[in-house]
Amino acid sequence: MRDLLGAATHRYLDFLAAIEGAIGLAAAMEYVQRIGLTQIAAYEKELLAYGTELLSAIPGLRILGTARDKASVLSFVLEEIHAHDIGTILDHEGIAIRAGHHCAMPLMKRFGVPATARASLAFYNTREELEALAKGIHKVKEVFA
Amino acid sequence: MSDLRDLYQQVILDHSKRPRNFLKLQGADRTAEGHNPLCGDEITIYLKLDGDVITDISFQGAVCAISKASASMMTSALKGKTKAEAEALFGKFHEMVTGHRGAASDPAGLGKLEVFCGVCEFPVRVKCASLAWHTLRAALDGKGEPVSTE
Repeated sequence: MRDLLGAATHRYLDFLAAIEGAIGLAAAMEYVQRIGLTQIAAYEKELLAYGTELLSAIPGLRILGTARDKASVLSFVLEEIHAHDIGTILDHEGIAIRAGHHCAMPLMKRFGVPATARASLAFYNTREELEALAKGIHKVKEVFA
Repeated sequence: MSDLRDLYQQVILDHSKRPRNFLKLQGADRTAEGHNPLCGDEITIYLKLDGDVITDISFQGAVCAISKASASMMTSALKGKTKAEAEALFGKFHEMVTGHRGAASDPAGLGKLEVFCGVCEFPVRVKCASLAWHTLRAALDGKGEPVSTE
Protein backbone atom coordinates (compact mmCIF):
# COMPACT_ATOMS: atom_id res chain seq x y z
CA MET A 1 0.00 0.00 0.00
CA ARG A 2 2.83 2.38 0.89
CA ASP A 3 4.24 2.17 -2.62
CA LEU A 4 0.90 2.84 -4.22
CA LEU A 5 0.43 5.92 -2.09
CA GLY A 6 3.62 7.36 -3.55
CA ALA A 7 5.82 10.11 -2.24
CA ALA A 8 5.18 11.76 1.08
CA THR A 9 3.80 14.90 -0.50
CA HIS A 10 1.07 12.91 -2.23
CA ARG A 11 0.29 10.79 0.76
CA TYR A 12 -1.72 13.50 2.51
CA LEU A 13 -3.83 14.56 -0.42
CA ASP A 14 -7.53 13.74 -0.16
CA PHE A 15 -7.55 11.50 -3.22
CA LEU A 16 -5.82 8.35 -4.34
CA ALA A 17 -4.91 6.80 -7.63
CA ALA A 18 -7.59 4.40 -8.89
CA ILE A 19 -6.09 1.52 -6.92
CA GLU A 20 -9.30 -0.50 -6.89
CA GLY A 21 -9.43 -0.28 -10.69
CA ALA A 22 -5.88 -1.60 -11.09
CA ILE A 23 -6.46 -4.42 -8.60
CA GLY A 24 -9.74 -5.32 -10.29
CA LEU A 25 -8.17 -5.33 -13.73
CA ALA A 26 -5.39 -7.64 -12.55
CA ALA A 27 -7.92 -10.03 -11.01
CA ALA A 28 -9.96 -9.99 -14.21
CA MET A 29 -6.90 -10.75 -16.33
CA GLU A 30 -5.91 -13.64 -14.09
CA TYR A 31 -9.46 -14.98 -14.31
CA VAL A 32 -9.53 -14.79 -18.10
CA GLN A 33 -6.07 -16.38 -18.37
CA ARG A 34 -7.07 -19.20 -16.06
CA ILE A 35 -9.94 -20.10 -18.40
CA GLY A 36 -7.83 -19.46 -21.49
CA LEU A 37 -8.47 -17.04 -24.34
CA THR A 38 -8.47 -19.84 -26.92
CA GLN A 39 -11.14 -21.74 -25.00
CA ILE A 40 -13.18 -18.57 -24.56
CA ALA A 41 -13.02 -17.81 -28.28
CA ALA A 42 -14.03 -21.35 -29.21
CA TYR A 43 -16.97 -21.37 -26.80
CA GLU A 44 -18.19 -17.95 -27.88
CA LYS A 45 -18.00 -19.02 -31.52
CA GLU A 46 -20.15 -22.04 -30.73
CA LEU A 47 -22.66 -19.86 -28.84
CA LEU A 48 -22.77 -17.43 -31.74
CA ALA A 49 -23.48 -20.23 -34.22
CA TYR A 50 -26.28 -21.57 -32.05
CA GLY A 51 -27.75 -18.10 -31.48
CA THR A 52 -27.58 -17.33 -35.20
CA GLU A 53 -29.41 -20.56 -35.94
CA LEU A 54 -32.15 -19.85 -33.38
CA LEU A 55 -32.68 -16.24 -34.39
CA SER A 56 -32.56 -16.94 -38.13
CA ALA A 57 -35.50 -19.29 -37.67
CA ILE A 58 -37.74 -16.49 -36.36
CA PRO A 59 -39.96 -15.11 -39.15
CA GLY A 60 -39.52 -11.37 -39.71
CA LEU A 61 -36.17 -11.23 -37.93
CA ARG A 62 -33.14 -10.01 -39.85
CA ILE A 63 -29.62 -10.30 -38.49
CA LEU A 64 -27.32 -7.37 -39.33
CA GLY A 65 -23.60 -7.97 -39.56
CA THR A 66 -22.77 -11.39 -40.86
CA ALA A 67 -19.00 -11.26 -41.33
CA ARG A 68 -17.51 -14.73 -41.07
CA ASP A 69 -15.17 -14.07 -38.17
CA LYS A 70 -17.16 -11.42 -36.35
CA ALA A 71 -17.26 -11.05 -32.58
CA SER A 72 -20.00 -12.90 -30.73
CA VAL A 73 -22.71 -10.28 -31.10
CA LEU A 74 -26.14 -10.66 -32.64
CA SER A 75 -27.56 -7.39 -33.99
CA PHE A 76 -31.01 -7.66 -35.42
CA VAL A 77 -34.15 -5.89 -36.54
CA LEU A 78 -37.62 -7.33 -36.24
CA GLU A 79 -40.36 -6.42 -38.70
CA GLU A 80 -41.61 -2.92 -37.93
CA ILE A 81 -40.96 -3.27 -34.21
CA HIS A 82 -38.51 -0.67 -32.91
CA ALA A 83 -35.43 -1.89 -31.05
CA HIS A 84 -36.35 0.08 -27.94
CA ASP A 85 -39.66 -1.73 -27.68
CA ILE A 86 -37.85 -5.05 -28.17
CA GLY A 87 -35.47 -4.04 -25.39
CA THR A 88 -38.20 -3.18 -22.90
CA ILE A 89 -40.12 -6.40 -23.48
CA LEU A 90 -37.00 -8.61 -23.34
CA ASP A 91 -35.94 -6.78 -20.18
CA HIS A 92 -39.29 -7.74 -18.72
CA GLU A 93 -38.49 -11.36 -19.57
CA GLY A 94 -35.20 -11.07 -17.70
CA ILE A 95 -33.03 -10.69 -20.80
CA ALA A 96 -30.67 -7.73 -21.07
CA ILE A 97 -29.82 -6.54 -24.57
CA ARG A 98 -28.69 -3.21 -25.97
CA ALA A 99 -30.92 -1.20 -28.28
CA GLY A 100 -30.34 1.83 -30.46
CA HIS A 101 -27.39 3.22 -32.35
CA HIS A 102 -24.60 1.44 -30.46
CA CYS A 103 -22.42 4.56 -30.86
CA ALA A 104 -22.52 4.09 -34.65
CA MET A 105 -25.10 6.71 -35.63
CA PRO A 106 -23.39 7.88 -38.87
CA LEU A 107 -23.08 4.30 -40.13
CA MET A 108 -26.67 3.47 -39.26
CA LYS A 109 -27.88 6.63 -40.97
CA ARG A 110 -25.89 5.62 -44.06
CA PHE A 111 -27.68 2.28 -44.17
CA GLY A 112 -31.07 3.75 -43.28
CA VAL A 113 -31.49 1.70 -40.11
CA PRO A 114 -33.09 3.77 -37.31
CA ALA A 115 -32.02 1.38 -34.54
CA THR A 116 -31.06 -2.23 -33.95
CA ALA A 117 -31.39 -4.62 -31.04
CA ARG A 118 -28.17 -6.35 -30.03
CA ALA A 119 -27.47 -9.36 -27.88
CA SER A 120 -23.81 -9.70 -26.89
CA LEU A 121 -22.57 -13.16 -25.98
CA ALA A 122 -19.76 -13.88 -23.59
CA PHE A 123 -18.24 -17.05 -22.18
CA TYR A 124 -20.51 -16.93 -19.15
CA ASN A 125 -23.62 -17.14 -21.32
CA THR A 126 -25.30 -20.47 -22.00
CA ARG A 127 -27.25 -22.20 -24.74
CA GLU A 128 -30.30 -22.09 -22.44
CA GLU A 129 -30.02 -18.31 -22.30
CA LEU A 130 -30.04 -18.16 -26.09
CA GLU A 131 -33.18 -20.29 -26.08
CA ALA A 132 -34.70 -17.84 -23.59
CA LEU A 133 -33.74 -15.00 -25.95
CA ALA A 134 -35.51 -16.68 -28.86
CA LYS A 135 -38.56 -17.29 -26.68
CA GLY A 136 -38.46 -13.65 -25.55
CA ILE A 137 -38.43 -12.46 -29.15
CA HIS A 138 -41.54 -14.52 -29.82
CA LYS A 139 -43.10 -12.76 -26.84
CA VAL A 140 -42.19 -9.39 -28.40
CA LYS A 141 -44.01 -10.44 -31.56
CA GLU A 142 -47.02 -11.49 -29.50
CA VAL A 143 -47.26 -8.09 -27.79
CA PHE A 144 -47.22 -6.39 -31.19
CA ALA A 145 -49.34 -8.97 -33.01
CA MET B 1 -42.10 -5.73 -11.84
CA SER B 2 -44.87 -3.74 -13.43
CA ASP B 3 -46.98 -5.31 -16.10
CA LEU B 4 -45.99 -4.85 -19.73
CA ARG B 5 -49.65 -4.32 -20.56
CA ASP B 6 -49.63 -1.16 -18.44
CA LEU B 7 -47.06 0.21 -20.86
CA TYR B 8 -48.26 -1.33 -24.11
CA GLN B 9 -51.96 -0.68 -23.68
CA GLN B 10 -54.20 -1.51 -26.63
CA VAL B 11 -54.80 2.16 -27.44
CA ILE B 12 -51.04 2.78 -27.53
CA LEU B 13 -50.43 -0.22 -29.78
CA ASP B 14 -53.23 0.93 -32.06
CA HIS B 15 -51.80 4.43 -32.39
CA SER B 16 -48.29 3.06 -32.98
CA LYS B 17 -49.50 0.82 -35.80
CA ARG B 18 -51.93 3.30 -37.31
CA PRO B 19 -50.61 6.71 -36.30
CA ARG B 20 -52.98 9.65 -36.79
CA ASN B 21 -51.72 12.86 -38.42
CA PHE B 22 -48.62 11.00 -39.61
CA LEU B 23 -47.73 13.17 -42.59
CA LYS B 24 -45.82 16.22 -43.66
CA LEU B 25 -48.25 19.12 -43.31
CA GLN B 26 -48.25 21.20 -46.48
CA GLY B 27 -47.97 24.93 -45.82
CA ALA B 28 -47.04 24.51 -42.16
CA ASP B 29 -46.29 27.76 -40.33
CA ARG B 30 -43.88 26.12 -37.94
CA THR B 31 -41.80 22.96 -37.89
CA ALA B 32 -39.39 21.60 -35.34
CA GLU B 33 -37.18 18.54 -35.14
CA GLY B 34 -36.63 16.49 -32.03
CA HIS B 35 -33.99 13.86 -31.34
CA ASN B 36 -33.58 11.22 -28.73
CA PRO B 37 -29.89 10.56 -29.43
CA LEU B 38 -29.45 7.58 -27.14
CA CYS B 39 -32.18 5.47 -28.71
CA GLY B 40 -32.09 7.02 -32.17
CA ASP B 41 -35.59 8.46 -32.27
CA GLU B 42 -36.09 11.37 -34.64
CA ILE B 43 -39.31 13.26 -35.02
CA THR B 44 -40.56 16.33 -36.88
CA ILE B 45 -43.62 18.28 -35.79
CA TYR B 46 -45.55 20.47 -38.25
CA LEU B 47 -47.91 23.21 -37.07
CA LYS B 48 -50.44 25.55 -38.58
CA LEU B 49 -51.37 28.43 -36.35
CA ASP B 50 -54.14 30.99 -36.46
CA GLY B 51 -52.98 33.54 -33.93
CA ASP B 52 -52.59 31.50 -30.78
CA VAL B 53 -54.72 28.60 -31.94
CA ILE B 54 -53.29 25.36 -33.35
CA THR B 55 -55.49 24.81 -36.38
CA ASP B 56 -53.58 21.80 -37.69
CA ILE B 57 -50.73 19.64 -36.48
CA SER B 58 -48.92 16.59 -37.81
CA PHE B 59 -45.72 14.64 -37.34
CA GLN B 60 -43.29 12.34 -39.08
CA GLY B 61 -40.35 10.31 -37.91
CA ALA B 62 -38.64 6.99 -37.33
CA VAL B 63 -39.46 6.26 -33.74
CA CYS B 64 -40.41 3.51 -31.31
CA ALA B 65 -43.98 2.50 -30.53
CA ILE B 66 -44.22 4.66 -27.42
CA SER B 67 -42.87 7.77 -29.20
CA LYS B 68 -45.10 7.23 -32.19
CA ALA B 69 -48.26 6.61 -30.16
CA SER B 70 -47.47 9.61 -27.98
CA ALA B 71 -47.03 11.87 -31.03
CA SER B 72 -50.16 10.47 -32.65
CA MET B 73 -52.31 11.05 -29.56
CA MET B 74 -50.73 14.42 -28.87
CA THR B 75 -51.55 15.69 -32.36
CA SER B 76 -55.09 14.36 -32.02
CA ALA B 77 -55.52 16.10 -28.67
CA LEU B 78 -54.14 19.48 -29.69
CA LYS B 79 -56.12 20.45 -32.79
CA GLY B 80 -58.10 23.58 -31.98
CA LYS B 81 -56.25 24.19 -28.71
CA THR B 82 -54.44 27.42 -27.88
CA LYS B 83 -50.72 27.59 -27.14
CA ALA B 84 -51.47 28.10 -23.44
CA GLU B 85 -53.79 25.07 -23.37
CA ALA B 86 -51.12 22.99 -25.11
CA GLU B 87 -48.50 24.08 -22.54
CA ALA B 88 -50.84 23.24 -19.67
CA LEU B 89 -51.54 19.81 -21.13
CA PHE B 90 -47.81 19.16 -21.54
CA GLY B 91 -47.29 20.11 -17.90
CA LYS B 92 -49.87 17.57 -16.77
CA PHE B 93 -48.61 14.92 -19.17
CA HIS B 94 -45.03 15.41 -18.01
CA GLU B 95 -46.01 15.13 -14.36
CA MET B 96 -47.85 11.90 -15.12
CA VAL B 97 -45.12 10.13 -17.11
CA THR B 98 -42.39 11.13 -14.69
CA GLY B 99 -44.49 10.01 -11.74
CA HIS B 100 -44.56 13.48 -10.19
CA ARG B 101 -48.26 13.98 -10.34
CA GLY B 102 -49.30 16.13 -7.43
CA ALA B 103 -52.36 15.25 -5.37
CA ALA B 104 -53.99 18.49 -6.49
CA SER B 105 -53.70 17.80 -10.22
CA ASP B 106 -56.78 16.74 -12.08
CA PRO B 107 -56.30 13.45 -13.94
CA ALA B 108 -59.51 14.01 -15.89
CA GLY B 109 -57.84 16.90 -17.70
CA LEU B 110 -55.63 14.55 -19.69
CA GLY B 111 -58.47 12.59 -21.25
CA LYS B 112 -57.23 9.84 -23.56
CA LEU B 113 -53.60 10.74 -22.82
CA GLU B 114 -54.14 9.04 -19.48
CA VAL B 115 -53.18 5.73 -21.18
CA PHE B 116 -49.53 6.81 -20.84
CA CYS B 117 -49.71 6.61 -17.05
CA GLY B 118 -47.92 3.23 -17.21
CA VAL B 119 -44.80 4.91 -18.61
CA CYS B 120 -43.74 6.19 -15.17
CA GLU B 121 -43.03 2.58 -14.19
CA PHE B 122 -40.52 2.35 -17.06
CA PRO B 123 -38.07 5.22 -16.46
CA VAL B 124 -36.05 4.61 -19.63
CA ARG B 125 -39.18 5.12 -21.72
CA VAL B 126 -40.14 8.52 -20.28
CA LYS B 127 -38.07 10.23 -22.97
CA CYS B 128 -39.88 8.26 -25.65
CA ALA B 129 -43.26 9.43 -24.38
CA SER B 130 -42.21 13.06 -24.03
CA LEU B 131 -40.14 13.53 -27.22
CA ALA B 132 -43.12 14.71 -29.29
CA TRP B 133 -44.12 17.19 -26.58
CA HIS B 134 -40.65 18.69 -26.25
CA THR B 135 -40.55 19.05 -30.02
CA LEU B 136 -43.98 20.65 -30.01
CA ARG B 137 -42.79 23.22 -27.49
CA ALA B 138 -39.83 24.05 -29.77
CA ALA B 139 -42.23 24.47 -32.69
CA LEU B 140 -44.49 26.74 -30.66
CA ASP B 141 -41.52 28.79 -29.50
CA GLY B 142 -40.51 29.09 -33.13
CA LYS B 143 -36.89 28.23 -32.43
CA GLY B 144 -35.11 26.79 -35.42
CA GLU B 145 -32.76 24.62 -33.36
CA PRO B 146 -33.51 20.89 -33.16
CA VAL B 147 -34.36 19.82 -29.62
CA SER B 148 -32.73 16.89 -27.92
CA THR B 149 -33.86 14.91 -24.92
CA GLU B 150 -30.23 14.70 -23.73
